[in-house]
Amino acid sequence: MDRKAELERKKAKLAALREEKDRRRREKEMKDMEEAAGRIGGGVGIDKDQRKDLDEMLSSLGVAPVSEVLSSLSSVNSVTSDNSNTQTPDASLQANMNGVGVAKKQPLNLSVYNVQATNIPPKETLVYSKQTQTTSTGGHERDAHATDYYDEYNLNPGLEWEDEFTDDEESSLPHLDHGFTSKLPPGYLTHGLPTVKDVAPAITPLEQKKEQEEKKEIKELSEEQKQMIVLSEDFQRFVLRAGRVVERALSENVDIYTDYIGAGDSEDTNDERTHARLSLNRIFYDERWSKNRCITCMDWSTHFPELVAAAYHNNEESPNEPDGVVMVWNTKFKKQTPEDIFHCQSAVMSTCFAKFNPNLILGGTYSGQIVLWDNRVQKRTPMQRTPLSAAAHTHPVYCLQVVGTQNAHNVISISSDGKLCSWSLDMLSHPQDTLELQQQRPSKSIAVTCMAFPANEINNLVMGSEDGYVYSACRHGSRTGVNDAFEKHLGPVTGISTHYNQSSPDFGHLFLTSSIDWTIKLWSLKDTKPLYSFEDNSDYVMDVAWSPIHPALFAAVDGSGRLDLWNLNQDTEVPTASVLVEGAPALNRVSWTPSGLHVTIGDDTGKLYVYDVTDHLAQPTRDEWSRFNATLNELKMNQSDDV
Amino acid sequence: MSQEVEETLKRIQSHKGVVGTIVVNNEGIPVKSTLDNTTTVQYAGLMSQLSDKARSVVRDLDPSNDLTFLRVRSKKHEIMVAPDKDFILIVIQNPTD
Repeated sequence: MDRKAELERKKAKLAALREEKDRRRREKEMKDMEEAAGRIGGGVGIDKDQRKDLDEMLSSLGVAPVSEVLSSLSSVNSVTSDNSNTQTPDASLQANMNGVGVAKKQPLNLSVYNVQATNIPPKETLVYSKQTQTTSTGGHERDAHATDYYDEYNLNPGLEWEDEFTDDEESSLPHLDHGFTSKLPPGYLTHGLPTVKDVAPAITPLEQKKEQEEKKEIKELSEEQKQMIVLSEDFQRFVLRAGRVVERALSENVDIYTDYIGAGDSEDTNDERTHARLSLNRIFYDERWSKNRCITCMDWSTHFPELVAAAYHNNEESPNEPDGVVMVWNTKFKKQTPEDIFHCQSAVMSTCFAKFNPNLILGGTYSGQIVLWDNRVQKRTPMQRTPLSAAAHTHPVYCLQVVGTQNAHNVISISSDGKLCSWSLDMLSHPQDTLELQQQRPSKSIAVTCMAFPANEINNLVMGSEDGYVYSACRHGSRTGVNDAFEKHLGPVTGISTHYNQSSPDFGHLFLTSSIDWTIKLWSLKDTKPLYSFEDNSDYVMDVAWSPIHPALFAAVDGSGRLDLWNLNQDTEVPTASVLVEGAPALNRVSWTPSGLHVTIGDDTGKLYVYDVTDHLAQPTRDEWSRFNATLNELKMNQSDDV
Repeated sequence: MSQEVEETLKRIQSHKGVVGTIVVNNEGIPVKSTLDNTTTVQYAGLMSQLSDKARSVVRDLDPSNDLTFLRVRSKKHEIMVAPDKDFILIVIQNPTD
């Protein structure tokens, strides 16, 4: 039993030992945990020993979870950091959030603060950096605004303003700045010279422009930009205007460096020309607009004697092109292209310049409309047109002329159904006056093919008709309408031309007609019988025209391509000069230039020929008028002999 | 409309002796040209400068006057410049042809 008792005692002792052991282990674990916690919190090596001692002391005293002490400590630290670290509120914030660990940084912050304090003086000299800040904010605003007025009116107030800003908002604005001001003590900023910089950045608009231009000179336009420019109205107007000038300059190819010392070989051709009475000068032709179009009418500008307007019929080979074309050609310059091209939907049968307005051109169309073009407008289609109604023309307008004076003039038009309309250029919506031209005895309307006003006449006119008769008519007065019917041609009358009036002796009553019956007849308004009939042609005579300067000279063209000049003072049986146009085209129209030195002819294929007439043929001698009077008397005598 | 522009330029270009046609805007940038790019840019820059200078000369001599046309004749070419408010037309031709 002793043994048992001894055994019990030993057991108890052992248990006591074990208990002791356990307790120690637990204590050690606790300590380790504390240490670990301290390490995680960023404890520094130097502190470790101190804390161990502390822990041991505490544990021996029986007080203490160390963590509690630490947390309380850290809170104390944070309070102290708040007090000391006024300049870095960020750090205190962090400490509060992170709790334990950050407290250890606190001494570091303190040291940094000291360093900054010493660093201020060198930084303080950088007034420049502060200025950049102010100018960068101020400068931006200035760029955005119109710089001029800002500088002019707001210079001084602006500066004061800025000063105030830097003073008051110093502390409230650090978040805007990039760390510079926050480090600087507030007092420094207001001093220095922020005002000087404000004026400097203002760039004058001129300089800016120069810079832009320099840049632009380098760059090129994109295709779209080019297209935009090309389609702009300015560009088109420019090209048409400049193009015209350049074309003239190009075709005037006078060599100012001609070397006359070298042999000249161009004189022979000149000699030939002087010998020929009629020589071809040039041909006006446009591949696209003239081709296959018969020239139906020609008229000369009164303002610019070198300009001729030619009306063209439709081109049957290209139905997509406009039917009617009028082109204005320039006989002065050598350029081969028309000055203006106009077109309209219907074939143009007659055209004329608006006599007293150099910019307007009129056209009488096959549809019966009268159209008006304006060469000032970049438009080839008519500016105005008369209505297609029974009040106006419903048949082709073969005759068109402006008569009257500068202040009182009318456009006279006659359609092939015998309707005469007079229009005011200002109002083409309806005619001012209409007149039905009718035959008297068997009452039927006259199919007028051509008309002419005797020189200086606005009331009386003569007309050729399809039935071969020639009529005279009156627009106003007691005998309004058709007055006399002259003896007839055997075929339709194709052309009519009145003598230009020369005051004494008066030949204003004379007129010529051409007809499909191969003849040209000379008439006087005083007699219903022809004075003379020229029967030298062997084809349709298509047109006839008196010379504007020579009393006894006229030109005639026929369908076989022959151009004849008749000087009645020299011969009345055969033409004085005659030329066969190359290719023998059917010639449709003939016209003199206002100078009387050139004849222009229009053919049925769209070519417009200009022929030079030699001086001795074109220019009248002084006795030409009296001689022509004698010739007329002679013709009258012969006429009475025949009867 | 632009068709007429094309027509006009084509007509000028097809004229005997014409080497090239350039339309330049008032900043010296070519808008239309019949020449290759480098030549065009060169002509455009230089001729617009020349015509600006010529215009200022004319205006300096008489403020009420203005430049309307400029022809530069050289051994090899003749350059015609038709200046305007917004554009310049340059035509280079070979006068010997």
